[in-house]
Amino acid sequence: MSQYPTTTNPGGTALAVQGVSRQYLTFTLAGELFAMPIEQIREIIEFSGLTEIPLMPAFLRGVINVRGAVVPVIDLAVRFGRPRTEIARRTCIVILELEQEGLLLLLGVLVDAVNEVLTVEPGQVEPRPSFGAKIRAEFIEGMINLNERFVIALDIHQVLSVEELTTLIGMAAGEGQGAGE
Amino acid sequence: MARDALVQEARELLAAMEQALMQIEAEGQDAEAINAVFRAAHTIKGSAGLFAFERIVSFTHIVESVLDRVRNGSQPLDANLLTLLLECSDYIAMLVDAIAARQEEQEPDAERRARLEAALTALLGVVTATPPPPATVAQPQGEPQGKVEVESGESVSSDNWHISLRFSPDVLRSGMDPLSFLRYLGTLGHIVHIVTLPDALPAAAEFDAETCYLGFEIDFASPVDRQTIEGVFEFVRDDSDIRILPPHSKVAEYISLIDGLPEPSGRLGEILVKGGALTESELTRVLAQQAAEPVPAKPLGALLVENDVVPQAVVAAALTKQKQGEEKRAQEQKFIKVEVSKLDALIDLVGELVIAGAGANVVARRQKDVQFEEATQALSSLVEQIRDAALTLRMVPIGEVFQRFPRVVRDISRELGKEIQLVVTGADTELDKSMVEKLSDPLMHIVRNAMDHGIEPTEARTAIGKPAAGTLRLNAFHESGCIVIEVSDDGRGLDRERILRKAIERGLVQPDQQLSDSDVFRLIFEPGFSTAETVTNLSGRGVGMDVVRKNIEALRGEVEVLSRPAQGTTVRIRLPLTLAIIDGFQVMTGEAVFVIPLDLVIECVDVSSHDTRHNILKLRGEPLPFVRLRELFELPEAGEVRESLVVVQYGQQRAGLVVDRLVGEFQAVIKPLGVLFSDMKGISGSTILGDGRVALILDVPHLIQRTARAQAAQSWPRQASALSDR
Repeated sequence: MSQYPTTTNPGGTALAVQGVSRQYLTFTLAGELFAMPIEQIREIIEFSGLTEIPLMPAFLRGVINVRGAVVPVIDLAVRFGRPRTEIARRTCIVILELEQEGLLLLLGVLVDAVNEVLTVEPGQVEPRPSFGAKIRAEFIEGMINLNERFVIALDIHQVLSVEELTTLIGMAAGEGQGAGE
Repeated sequence: MARDALVQEARELLAAMEQALMQIEAEGQDAEAINAVFRAAHTIKGSAGLFAFERIVSFTHIVESVLDRVRNGSQPLDANLLTLLLECSDYIAMLVDAIAARQEEQEPDAERRARLEAALTALLGVVTATPPPPATVAQPQGEPQGKVEVESGESVSSDNWHISLRFSPDVLRSGMDPLSFLRYLGTLGHIVHIVTLPDALPAAAEFDAETCYLGFEIDFASPVDRQTIEGVFEFVRDDSDIRILPPHSKVAEYISLIDGLPEPSGRLGEILVKGGALTESELTRVLAQQAAEPVPAKPLGALLVENDVVPQAVVAAALTKQKQGEEKRAQEQKFIKVEVSKLDALIDLVGELVIAGAGANVVARRQKDVQFEEATQALSSLVEQIRDAALTLRMVPIGEVFQRFPRVVRDISRELGKEIQLVVTGADTELDKSMVEKLSDPLMHIVRNAMDHGIEPTEARTAIGKPAAGTLRLNAFHESGCIVIEVSDDGRGLDRERILRKAIERGLVQPDQQLSDSDVFRLIFEPGFSTAETVTNLSGRGVGMDVVRKNIEALRGEVEVLSRPAQGTTVRIRLPLTLAIIDGFQVMTGEAVFVIPLDLVIECVDVSSHDTRHNILKLRGEPLPFVRLRELFELPEAGEVRESLVVVQYGQQRAGLVVDRLVGEFQAVIKPLGVLFSDMKGISGSTILGDGRVALILDVPHLIQRTARAQAAQSWPRQASALSDR
């Protein structure tokens, strides 16, 4: 889990240490507000259908065509252990560019809506709480203190760990094989 | 960049060298083959010298010396020397690898080098007892004029070569360092005198730091021949102005030299005198003759004839020879080396074009505008041609892979003490370059296996009346949109019982399970499955046939094993021709679009009139197992649909795929699904439809296998005996 370079340290205090402001995209997921750093975000596209892939785990909604590249789309809500994201008018796919083992990988994440880009000062970020956020602790990079409320800043490399996703997909594919193999 | 070019060139030359050595071994000594070996070593040394890769230069130099003696007949080329030379080429390959890895400062294997050098030097030592002819005579392709000129009364007195260098102004931009050429030249002899000509230097304000303005006049004392000196400048010869005059050159050549260079003739003359290329009086004579000569740049041949130095016939012969050389060069230039990434970019673009074309087709059909439809159809057919042409750019003969094997078979058979001959057929069968690279390792593994486990020791063969020498065959051919590669041996064949026993031991199959031969043989591809009783030097290194299968499947291919006791084993690899674009057949199940590679589609059948209760359909009297995509992929039930069945065939197996709707043919640009889906079965990739949607490409071989196995599992209690007869 720890082999991917991330900008945080395990305590989630790296932002404060860096001493520079960072930009985050905020988005909603089942009524809840989340944020992710914008460095990896390549574009945001309106949801206009996707191609489902049979026998895949629920978090993998399918693939879409982004100007000739076939990009897998992950349902973040399912990844966080919640029900599937229902497609609605404001549903978006955020296309992220992740570097994994020297290769650039495009991944889409399905969100209910994107809100705004925040500029966050170092002092605005609190280390992640040990419990209470209702999602896996290592998915959280820190808590952004935003006028009386906290927004969870995601550690996108953990959330979209290719290694973990591939294992999960492989397991699902293996089950789907049935007794034949 | 230049370093990469050097590495690639050296590797190609080493391959050529090895091939020539193998040819000598198989067919006996052949002057052309020996020359090829010599040329390869020579060129590698020369290029390495340019970059001051000392380790490679010094090693290759000794090899070259030995080869030179072989070439002029003073050293017999026996089996031992062949082996030694092959080992040397291996070692040079290691040195080249070191350069590729930017570790040229380290000796890859000092011990091995010392051993090889000792062996080479020993040979050189023996031969020196009978003094070798002087180097210039040893060169069969030496300049014929060289001798003539020495005899000519009109030649100048200098014992030195004279070299005029005017590098191309762009030489630095192409990554070459002019000084390195001079440095390398210095290793071939002694630079007696060198003058740098700054005449081309512009005013300081116009000076461009990246342009080379300097020219050189060099007097060079060396016993080497003209070709060798020219070889020094191999890399810059095309763009630069390089003139080489042999010692005792004719006056006329100096005239043409002086005339041909940009600097004022008087000044150049002075330089020549100062360097000792000409004496004062010779210069006067040269200049006088130059002034008198109406057309000073007369062809050399004409001058020679005029002065009665050589008869017309000889010049004519020399000219013909020269022309042949040019023709040969012209032929060589019919090939262009292209960077793979450029080709990939082109294929990507063609892929986009195919998708865009499909999009235009969709719109045209929707608009129901006849002219528009005709226009897009014309466009489509052109796009199709461009696609095919672009794909053929990547096609190379499989011989590129096969050519490694004579050497491999030779070495392994020696190591094993078995007599094995290799028969290669179909080496000109073409397939995608990207596959060639990935095929080499699996093939190597299969070949090693066949030699180690398949072919019996000589005594065992003769005891059962087989020819003492085992035969290993490599064969390639095209078959219905696939390329098939076979590795067969005439050895003992696979031991069905032992494999089965082992599989039962490991719990891979149940003791009471009935399996066909092909099912049993397929077990050898299971991870960690080895029937070898002893782990030899060759096998048992932890890489098994499972890796072979994985590699082949990664290429969307399939491996199959055929074997008969005491008669031999054939491993058959079936691969798609290309990885980039296929003709596809679109089908739909519910809302999902799937693509079946068209090559595998035999026909489509309306199933409503058939009895489909047992997932076996009677097609023209034959049973055809089929599977519903909806069930296979657990897709939601749709209401009443008129189902269709697509008959697909892969290898010898046929099956049916039942879908809701047939859409039609189209060109599918294959888009890999990426690392996330690397373990997925049943779907081999994806493609983008005309409307921008992604469609999945079915992995037909896998689906057929799965269908066949699932049905075998259901039915074997009843049909066990029938199955085992298969």
